[in-house]
Amino acid sequence: MTGRPDTQWPRWEVFKQDAPGRPHQAVGSVHATDADHALVTARTLFARRPSAVSMWAVPDHAILARTQEQDERGEPLPDLASGDVRTYVVARKTTHKRSMTFVDVVGTVDADSPAAALALARERFPEPPALAWWVFPDAAVARTDDTPGTVESWFAPAKDKTYRQQSSYGVVGTHASKRNPRAGGPDRD
Amino acid sequence: MTQTPITPDPATEEKLAHFEARIARGEKIEPGDWMPDEYRRQLKRMISQHAHSEYVGMLPEGAWITRAPSLRRKMILIAKVQDEAGHGQYLYHAAETLGITREEMMDALLTARAKYSSIFNYPSLTWADVGMIGWLVDGAAIKNQTMLAGCSYGPYSRAMVRICSEETFHHKQGKEMILTYARGTAKQRAMAQDALDRWWWPSLMMLGPHDAESTNSGVLTRWGVKLKSNDEVRQEFMNEHVPELLEAGLTIPDADLRQDEDGNWKHGPIDWSEFWAVVKGERGLMGERLGARRKAHEDGAWVREAMEAHAARRATAQAAD
Repeated sequence: MTGRPDTQWPRWEVFKQDAPGRPHQAVGSVHATDADHALVTARTLFARRPSAVSMWAVPDHAILARTQEQDERGEPLPDLASGDVRTYVVARKTTHKRSMTFVDVVGTVDADSPAAALALARERFPEPPALAWWVFPDAAVARTDDTPGTVESWFAPAKDKTYRQQSSYGVVGTHASKRNPRAGGPDRD
Repeated sequence: MTQTPITPDPATEEKLAHFEARIARGEKIEPGDWMPDEYRRQLKRMISQHAHSEYVGMLPEGAWITRAPSLRRKMILIAKVQDEAGHGQYLYHAAETLGITREEMMDALLTARAKYSSIFNYPSLTWADVGMIGWLVDGAAIKNQTMLAGCSYGPYSRAMVRICSEETFHHKQGKEMILTYARGTAKQRAMAQDALDRWWWPSLMMLGPHDAESTNSGVLTRWGVKLKSNDEVRQEFMNEHVPELLEAGLTIPDADLRQDEDGNWKHGPIDWSEFWAVVKGERGLMGERLGARRKAHEDGAWVREAMEAHAARRATAQAAD
């Protein structure tokens, strides 16, 4: 294996929507040979527990990522040739708060290049200031089917597996907060 | 701090000052942001080791899936082992954002060039070990991971937040199992005690060498990756678990165990020679664990080949359309 060229499958960024009306959020990535493979792997990895109603997989090469720090440093944007006007999905991160997700999808813009889409996104979604942006062509997104039957068969099983939830075990023994750490010595026998 | 490369380049000095100011303000460092080479190197090492630990960590418990004493316990254990596989994937993802491929990381593990937590080189001899691993090993891991959830590197922090939220179930199911045994028959109590006797010291050691001996800590602390020292995390672990184990009627195998005037539980001297022997593979099951991982990798080769053949055929068909 050592010295073998990198043959790992393409990387796909995964977005998960927790409930209807909530944004799709970037949760992590998978490696997969094609879009169907990416979505099945994404479900196995990111929907072992509720809740999810929809997932997307986006090939990482289709994403233009930009951070506030890159803007401040004046790092040049990739000089991508202009093409036809396409719809781009816009996602951004706006807080340094502790979180298990990265960027949230906020909407779409129509532009003739990723750089132009990013410029439009900055105009369209100025507040709160973005710490990081992702833009990618809507056509590059692989989506789970959102018909009720498919949503049920893809995501409902996670709801029944209550033994995966720490809440199903209740409080076991005496809660630490109830115990006086100074009371008594070690009861070793 | 001696590992930090000191560079005379004023532009780099300015970038470093800006980077450190961002960390001091509590900002997360994201992929694409400027970062010192040493920060990148240390994170690649640390996150990939952590991923390998999750991945190898499936083995000691996975061996008990077929022998679980009830369907409920079997489902719980399958879910837990699945989670460990998932946690490895979250962490490999986080490490990849630093510019290392999964293949490089997997190759380093399978050729024994990468380390992983030596706790997984101990054998799981009885069913009670499954409970004790959940309670103590996952309990110690959660203390460490809760600290890392606040770390300065965004992708690592997010993986840790997700892992901690899932890992809490691992801890609770283990504690529930051991408390059931501790209240059970004489034989069950003896099994629980035997498991504690074997897992207590390895659980304390898995939180890493004492602060004075911890070679990588300086720069990781300075750059907001390790927010607490090994000894601080170990103290948190002791203060939570010692009273609970004693309350369960179990005996902690440490003749010097005591509580100090501040209420902190103190352990006796740790035998670090055992820790290092297990890390180096001179003791324990490192050969067996890596052998099992290599076999799984090789046995899965035909699936990977089939997926590639399918993708290639589909690409050819699409090109022909």
